[in-house]
Amino acid sequence: MSEYILEVNNLQKKFPIKGGILGREIGAVNAVNDVSFKIKRGETLGLVGESGCGKTTLGRSLLRLIEPTGGEIIFNGQNIRDFSSNEMREMRRKMQIIFQDPYASLNPRMTVGGILSEPMDIHKLFPGKEERRNRLYQLLDQVQLPKDALNKYPHEFSGGQRQRVCIARALAVEPDFIVCDEPVSALDVSVQAQVVNLLMDLQKELGLTYLFIAHDLKVVEYISNRVAVMYLGNVVEVAESSELYGGARHPYTKALFSAIPKPNPNIHMDRILLEGDIPSPMNPPSGCHFHPRCWNATDKCREVYPENTRESATHDYKCHNPINL
Amino acid sequence: MAEKILEVKDLVVEFKTDRGKITAVNGVSFEVFKGKTLGIVGESGSGKSVTALSIMRLIPSPPGNVAGGTIHYRGKNVLDIPLDQMRTIRGNKIAMIFQEPMTSLNPVFTVGNQIEEVFELHQPDLNNQQRSEKAIEMLKLVGIPSPESRVNEYPHQLSGGMRQRVMIAMSLACEPDILIADEPTTALDVTIQAQILELMNKLQVEMGMGIIMITHDLGVVAETCDDVAVMYCGQIVEQSDVKTLFNNPKHPYTKGLIDSIPSFDSTAGGARGRLPTIEGMVPSLFELPQGCNFQNRCKSVTEKCRGPHGEPKLVETKAGEFVRCFHPLT
Repeated sequence: MSEYILEVNNLQKKFPIKGGILGREIGAVNAVNDVSFKIKRGETLGLVGESGCGKTTLGRSLLRLIEPTGGEIIFNGQNIRDFSSNEMREMRRKMQIIFQDPYASLNPRMTVGGILSEPMDIHKLFPGKEERRNRLYQLLDQVQLPKDALNKYPHEFSGGQRQRVCIARALAVEPDFIVCDEPVSALDVSVQAQVVNLLMDLQKELGLTYLFIAHDLKVVEYISNRVAVMYLGNVVEVAESSELYGGARHPYTKALFSAIPKPNPNIHMDRILLEGDIPSPMNPPSGCHFHPRCWNATDKCREVYPENTRESATHDYKCHNPINL
Repeated sequence: MAEKILEVKDLVVEFKTDRGKITAVNGVSFEVFKGKTLGIVGESGSGKSVTALSIMRLIPSPPGNVAGGTIHYRGKNVLDIPLDQMRTIRGNKIAMIFQEPMTSLNPVFTVGNQIEEVFELHQPDLNNQQRSEKAIEMLKLVGIPSPESRVNEYPHQLSGGMRQRVMIAMSLACEPDILIADEPTTALDVTIQAQILELMNKLQVEMGMGIIMITHDLGVVAETCDDVAVMYCGQIVEQSDVKTLFNNPKHPYTKGLIDSIPSFDSTAGGARGRLPTIEGMVPSLFELPQGCNFQNRCKSVTEKCRGPHGEPKLVETKAGEFVRCFHPLT
């Protein structure tokens, strides 16, 4: 078995834009544009970026919940883009996803027991009655919910508890890899820390691999071994999370870190204030997509899209004028 | 000492529900000074938005009801002002920015129309020409590029950050004394959040208004506020200036909140220790425990907290520093 559980090569997702009276394709949104990365077994890769940068589309394309339009997804050595939908369903036993909104992703008419059983029914796991019940109790125990939760409905739980149910549902089929799509963004601060701890404990206990998507850099940096920064459909920088805070080479990464309000009134940082908004992915700027907001931009940036630069074995970035350390 | 423009005293707000009466705000007191920012922090359901809405007299009644306390704006109790006269204050002297810039703008009117409406209500002697000039001026003030053309656009044509700028332009149109910002940046990305906070800061320096910043983000508090009140279950549990609050939190809840934020200075990537958390969750307002509301989640809880002595009172430990706890941290 290779060291990498997942290898993504040049993944692309274009959404067509239809228009005119004939409904012909008049353009495309490049939501994910030539993204490549690898995830090691047992590690957490963080994925950050602002809204609309394509992080959720990327997360869903990995499970082919959204069909990618190009590239390869190699999971456990097999290119799952060639799989039929039946094979893919089988494969999703090993790859699961946790969604952002624990209010919208649980069926309000099903009990927690039903919700947790469904994935096991689909994959014909733990079929015996006794076996199934023990498994359900085990799942609840893993996410620290009481046993009597089985007969309750989602509305009887708080946001943090619902997210625990979502986590238990993902764990039910014993996956190797979980895409966590903003799992803590909708939660209150004190509950957020509980869920982050739970995810980290489960990873240790079950040897899981995570792709952790969030816009909150603080959380991502905390939970991840490595972090990938996305901007307008491209990964612009990947590095070890400890390296990224002090050693960001891409100006966008630097600006993102600098924009986070620090919960410490004693230090006053000089903030890099980015001008303007994220450009539309329908009509991205020429050259480097970040150049209209970049303070280091030169003519070259306006014309040529930067190639990947390898800083070290664990640190890549795409920039013509990286920040000097 | 800056001029005191708003004084809220012992505010109590109740809501009638099918399951009985709840007290969403329970004896909240604070003051707002000219040119200063007061932060109100708390988790969802702690009563921070209800507090803001009662200052604006926007609590829907029924089911809501301001059951006690006073809100003095420049010496006048706004709770005594008849609702039709309240309009001369609301939006004019005290203005508010809401969390969702998407839902708080009217989608069928241009942003220009919506800003002009403020002038129509509060400065009726302006003519059409002057109103539209002032609307453009406001958009320029909040840093919207090419305001002359933006003024004719509809909210859906603007990005989230731009819409929030329009909301700020509307709220500042009459140069209010007090600006209540209810989670103004929660729906925005960090880079846009930084722009908006910077803008509010700049406008505060220029116009000298007092700001009430309602947020759950302690980072925003640390960067923008002069004084902070921490709310839990409808009560203020700790109140002081921002430096004291972060350097020496006295209430275990405040300390827990501060500790549970991951920080960047923590070493080694990946294999980190667990985050410090506050165990359990906020109790339902229907089932508040006897004694201290925070007892079930508190690390330093004792028998005293569980009820026999009633609930802890908000005590002034030092001038301007208040804490509601039997065993404050030192």
